[in-house]
Amino acid sequence: MMSRFEILGCSPNTEKIAILGGNYNMKKQLLIAILATVSVFAVAFSACTSDDGPTDADLQDAQATTSAAQSALSAANARADAAEASADEAMKMAEEAKMEADQAMMPEETGGRLAQVQERGHLICASRNDVPGYGFLDDSGRSVGFDIDLCRAVATAVLGDPEAIEVVFINAAERGPTIQSGEVDLLVRTVTWTTSRDAQWGNYAQTMFYDGQGFMVPADLGVTSAYELSGAAVCVTSGTTTELNMADFFRQNAMEYNPQVFEDTDIVLSSYESGACDVFTNDRSQLAALRTSLQNPADHVILPETISEEPLGPVVPHGDDQWFDIVKTVMSGLIYAEGYGINSGNVSAKASGDDVKAKRLLGTEGTIGQESLGLSETFMQDVINAVGNYGEIYDRNLGPDGIDLPREGGRNALWSDAPCGDCPKGGQIYAAPLR
Amino acid sequence: MQSILYPGGIPLWRNVVFIQWVVQIISAIVIIAIVSGFIFNVANEIQDREIPFGFNFLDDAAQIPIGESVIQYDPSQSYLYGFSVAALNTIKASVLGVLLATTLGIIIGVSRLSRNWLLSRLALVYIETFRNIPLLIQLLFWFLIILELPNVREGYIFFDAFYLNNSGFYLPWATPLGGFWPWAILTVIGFAGGILAFNYLTKREIVTGQPSYPIIAGIAIFVVATIVGLIIFSPLELVVPERQEGPFGRLQGGARWSGSFFALLIGLVVYTSAFIAEIVRAGIQAVNRGQTEAARALGLHTNASLRWVIFPQALRVIIPPLISQYLNLTKNSSLAAAIGYPDLVSVSTTMTQIAPAISLIGMVMATYLAMSLFYSLVGNIYNRITRYAGVG
Repeated sequence: MMSRFEILGCSPNTEKIAILGGNYNMKKQLLIAILATVSVFAVAFSACTSDDGPTDADLQDAQATTSAAQSALSAANARADAAEASADEAMKMAEEAKMEADQAMMPEETGGRLAQVQERGHLICASRNDVPGYGFLDDSGRSVGFDIDLCRAVATAVLGDPEAIEVVFINAAERGPTIQSGEVDLLVRTVTWTTSRDAQWGNYAQTMFYDGQGFMVPADLGVTSAYELSGAAVCVTSGTTTELNMADFFRQNAMEYNPQVFEDTDIVLSSYESGACDVFTNDRSQLAALRTSLQNPADHVILPETISEEPLGPVVPHGDDQWFDIVKTVMSGLIYAEGYGINSGNVSAKASGDDVKAKRLLGTEGTIGQESLGLSETFMQDVINAVGNYGEIYDRNLGPDGIDLPREGGRNALWSDAPCGDCPKGGQIYAAPLR
Repeated sequence: MQSILYPGGIPLWRNVVFIQWVVQIISAIVIIAIVSGFIFNVANEIQDREIPFGFNFLDDAAQIPIGESVIQYDPSQSYLYGFSVAALNTIKASVLGVLLATTLGIIIGVSRLSRNWLLSRLALVYIETFRNIPLLIQLLFWFLIILELPNVREGYIFFDAFYLNNSGFYLPWATPLGGFWPWAILTVIGFAGGILAFNYLTKREIVTGQPSYPIIAGIAIFVVATIVGLIIFSPLELVVPERQEGPFGRLQGGARWSGSFFALLIGLVVYTSAFIAEIVRAGIQAVNRGQTEAARALGLHTNASLRWVIFPQALRVIIPPLISQYLNLTKNSSLAAAIGYPDLVSVSTTMTQIAPAISLIGMVMATYLAMSLFYSLVGNIYNRITRYAGVG
């Protein structure tokens, strides 16, 4: 640096100055260009980081600075007759400065998540592709499953198209950061609703499946109860409530165990199948689903004890009440559609029929809050046409057409299925009434 | 300063000192702007999205399971303690990995230069294979191979004390008892005494010409001190792994090197040693050929010339890139989460379920940085010792 400047500016050797004179202009131009870029950058930056986006004053500032930079550059250009190549470089710099100023002038994304999704044209859901019934890829590579159908239901409600989804596959430990950052619109990846997650991750819209943690062991070990698991090596996926519940359970019952924690479900399954761990713990329904992918499912038993409550449902990012309400309403709609006997086969008949509640749900009479939510009057008609009601989604993925988890008489039956009308003996699937 | 071009003195904008200052100031502004930009951005996002942040959680009970640990751990202990347990697991993998990878790397690197055609080709195949396959794939490969071993109930047993199965390798291990520290001190004294005796007797042998057996004497002093300590203080108890009652037949007692740890260690050592081998080869080839010829002219055997002439000079070329391989190995050990070894990253991921993620990731980064700096420090000190005297 030193010696070059010496040659350029301060050396008494006039010959060298004559030779390098052209280059000298370039140096000055570069300096001006850098100065201009930095000032534009600084203004653009202060505009970007201010809370309510760039103010008019900021923008004018940015414009002023840009034009100042441009005039400085053109002045510099005028002097640069001797060095055309360097002028090109300065032009590039000027372009960069202009682009930065443009960026500063762009308004910050306005409106809530609904507007963003509609503008984007598709819904981004975080889900999974490794558990049959919940989130899996079918033979054609299309995402299918209970969680995926909930994503499609929301996409249909806000965009009218069940295929307008982009599914991001994440592992269990990535769920929190993914929804916290707001980079996805909806997290539906067998997420258990817990108080700390509700406080830290996002808002839980609605419990769509009641699960509980269980243990699977090879049948030939002769274990019949979770309380006989002392001394076992237990496999579990990291970043899950099951991992924490397992620790609680063994500590509570003063049983020795050796935890083996893996990131991916596939590796957990390999370890379990090879006998490197004796027990696989997960939500019972997932155990049932994953057992079907073992070499010989009949050789493995799921122990009768359920050691935790695992209510599963979709999660939305914090900070957007309208979006939160939309997802809740769609979930309510799916549940009540089953209760009212509306399914994908009879939507139009019900819409014009004489069942007042059904007509309200389908948007042909009365309201369930569509206007405040920013949804079309008849959005539930689209949703049920596309994915069916809650029962249809269940049957297709988890029921007889899926991994065959029994529903009748269990927690995941509708509340109203109770044997005596309104007595609370049915399932627990229940949501905010549609009014 | 009088200039022909500027008789009135050099104008400000052609003044070297001024220009240099301006450039420095601008660079400083740019750097500060970028860094503070990141910091403000993060701070704003944390506030806007209500992402939790802070370090108050460190004293709370961690409540998470950790599969294996160097020090005793149970889930009622604090986050900070659990974090240290995980850090120790990472250090264990890193230190063992560095030692083994260096040894293996030197052997392969020297073999690569061997005049034996087969040996040098084998070394070449080894290097090119393991250097060019992503480490994560290698780790999964080794782990799945270990899973192919018979399970803990059907595994191999040697001498009723060593057990090898797909849960790991179980071996007898000494547990310290009450007299451990006196014994340890006596052993250290014995070691120092041995070295003193070795030095004294070596000097005596050189001066007087009488055979004084310095090596035998040095080792004898050390061994006698150790054994006498063992008899007096009975500091250690050898614990042999034993099969537990019940259906699972797991092993208890002694030391266990889990399958995950094995897979991690093999993967790291094999992968890193391929790089180290190339560094060693480069270092040896960087030594002027004349040195080899001179050594031969002195009548030194190939091994002796390698040991006394070539290698000390090659070390000066080898050390700096070698340190960077050690750093790589340490950081690569974070892939352990994929194969279930409870290292720093794996455990802190589990912790982020309840504890704030940003704080934990910051702690993880700081820990890796500290480990890297420590390796650099040790390496640089060694480098300073081994460099040519008088050369910067």
